[in-house]
Amino acid sequence: MTRPPAGDRTRWLPEAEAFRLLAGYRLPVIAHRLATTPEEAAQAARDLGCPVALKVVSPEIPHKSDVGGVRLNVATPEDAGAAFTTILDRLTPHPSRLTIQGILVAKMAAPGTEVIVGMVRDPQFGPAVMVGLGGIFVELYQDVAFRLPPLSPAEARAMLGELKAAPLLTGYRGQPPRDLDALAACACAVARIAAEHPEIREIDLNPIIAHERGCMIVDAKILVHE
Amino acid sequence: MLHRAGFLLATGHPLRIMSHPLDSIFRPRSVAVIGASNSPEKFGYIILKNILEAGFRGPVYPVNPKAAEILGRPCTPSIADLPPGVDLAVIIIPAKAVPQAVAEAGQRGIQSAIIISGGFAEAGEAGAALQREVVEASRRSGVRIVGPNCQGVNIPPHGLCASWPLLTEQGEIAVISQSGTVGAALMDWASQEHVGCSAFVSLGNRCDVDETDLIDYLAQDANTRAIAAYLEGIKDLDRFRRVVSGCTKPIVILKSGRTAEGRRAAESHTRSLAGRDELYTALFRQLRIHRADSLEDLYDAAKALAYLPRPAGRRILTITSSGGSGILATDWAEWSGLQVAPLPGPVAETLRSLLPAHCIVANPLDLTGDGTAALYRKVVEATAPHFDYQVIIFGDPILQAADVVTPGAPQLVIFLGGAEVERQERARMHQKKVPVFPTPERGIRALARLFAFDGVAA
Repeated sequence: MTRPPAGDRTRWLPEAEAFRLLAGYRLPVIAHRLATTPEEAAQAARDLGCPVALKVVSPEIPHKSDVGGVRLNVATPEDAGAAFTTILDRLTPHPSRLTIQGILVAKMAAPGTEVIVGMVRDPQFGPAVMVGLGGIFVELYQDVAFRLPPLSPAEARAMLGELKAAPLLTGYRGQPPRDLDALAACACAVARIAAEHPEIREIDLNPIIAHERGCMIVDAKILVHE
Repeated sequence: MLHRAGFLLATGHPLRIMSHPLDSIFRPRSVAVIGASNSPEKFGYIILKNILEAGFRGPVYPVNPKAAEILGRPCTPSIADLPPGVDLAVIIIPAKAVPQAVAEAGQRGIQSAIIISGGFAEAGEAGAALQREVVEASRRSGVRIVGPNCQGVNIPPHGLCASWPLLTEQGEIAVISQSGTVGAALMDWASQEHVGCSAFVSLGNRCDVDETDLIDYLAQDANTRAIAAYLEGIKDLDRFRRVVSGCTKPIVILKSGRTAEGRRAAESHTRSLAGRDELYTALFRQLRIHRADSLEDLYDAAKALAYLPRPAGRRILTITSSGGSGILATDWAEWSGLQVAPLPGPVAETLRSLLPAHCIVANPLDLTGDGTAALYRKVVEATAPHFDYQVIIFGDPILQAADVVTPGAPQLVIFLGGAEVERQERARMHQKKVPVFPTPERGIRALARLFAFDGVAA
């Protein structure tokens, strides 16, 4: 479950590296620090401002929340230091059997609608960009739309419009409408990354928190071919 | 006989201006049947007979070293003995002899070959090796190949039925099929209903000519208005994208193998959701290719795309003699994004003065059980200016129904419950190039095809 796709020399970029690559494409990435000790975690929380999220960083753990590797809404720097220890203590499999690069401390994004933007490279079709309703239920609802790049902002907007959950983005039951242009820009940037980085096999930006103005990438997985 | 886009020389020999590399498949001057047979159960007999009976106008040469004549035509013993000027060879001989036949056809100046014979890539490694030899012979000789392992080619406007069954009804739908039977079924329906086809090409193992070559040809074929294809996969995706982008005719594809393919337990959500089928959906949408989800849907969509005029908008009026059919049509219209708009007040008043009191003047407009062609005509004329499309449902044996409809007008015709009268009137309408659909569901869904790419960026 925690290996990259079989038969390939591929690896998941450490999340901080993934964030750096995305930021290079002017994508909105949540403010974050990598901590290697409880003290560093507490200091990061202090610097970033609470609440924060803590996430274990290991190339062997793509689905961090499945193995107890994530703590959300940590309220104080002291709690962040404690959460650092708890995460490593409770991690399955035990950290001694994993390569752990540290724990990423990230600011909690303001609440909004969770969206996924992704990319996969198909041997026949080449890169395909996906948008969908994000979060942990992505595969349950399968409410997604695909396009083959190049991708124009108008086409990316049309993808969002195709989702069954589109009303959640355009102002459902008194909620503010979400920034569709910002989400479309994420999809277009992902298409560009796919075109400019043939070594990147897969991208999962999930979730992207969509706000009334702008959006924020809070989790990014990028699979690269060595 | 003068051929289209051609002229007669003083010798009486028809000469055409070759405008496309595949002209020799779609409009050959003459045909040789390699492996013609006297046994009525063999394809070598059936295909020769179908070519002769479909009314092919050029010379037809059976080739068989052992027979003197077949079906009253003198046999030529070998390909080398054929007269010059044969454009197309239909090859129905054992697989192991095919590569040699292709090479000989090339030497004789034959431009294309349809290989019916099986026993190639579909039949294991030895067959695959033979197919490579065919490809090699084709490359060296320049002979274009349809097949092998295919059901041939049927071009009704050219009287060329190098296929089976014998179908000759001419129309404006071109059929491309990776399955011979699926394509023949489509063409059979089209013939049965007098809708007809402009071409049917069975791809078989598509060792040379593929769906992209055919779309490239059909895009410029004067007889074709819509292209319907059954495909299991696309051979050359880049070229397909390029050619389809340049094709202005509507294309509808039934792509099979939609389940489970390409899916596997995956690390990323995107990967787990990106089955091949989702990628085909994306590709088709971006290329404005209509996607059919059943054989019936493929047929209905092709009929609509070939024959229904483009709508100006989505406001429809249903005119029916069957209340139930009207409601079914309304349900499907709502589900398909069409607008069932109310009758404007003054129009309703006019209609009330024109129609018997028991008619229900609304949308759907129900003429009830005694709707006649004359009543339909009154309503159609009075309401045409006020709606984008009229959905005319004949729900009884309505005599002269075909006189109600106008070719090229924004009218969707559905006919059901009319037994023998329905069959006659449907044929009359199809001969007028007005497509008729058998149920409200199938009709409305076909109409909705015309709106499928509204708002899709080009």
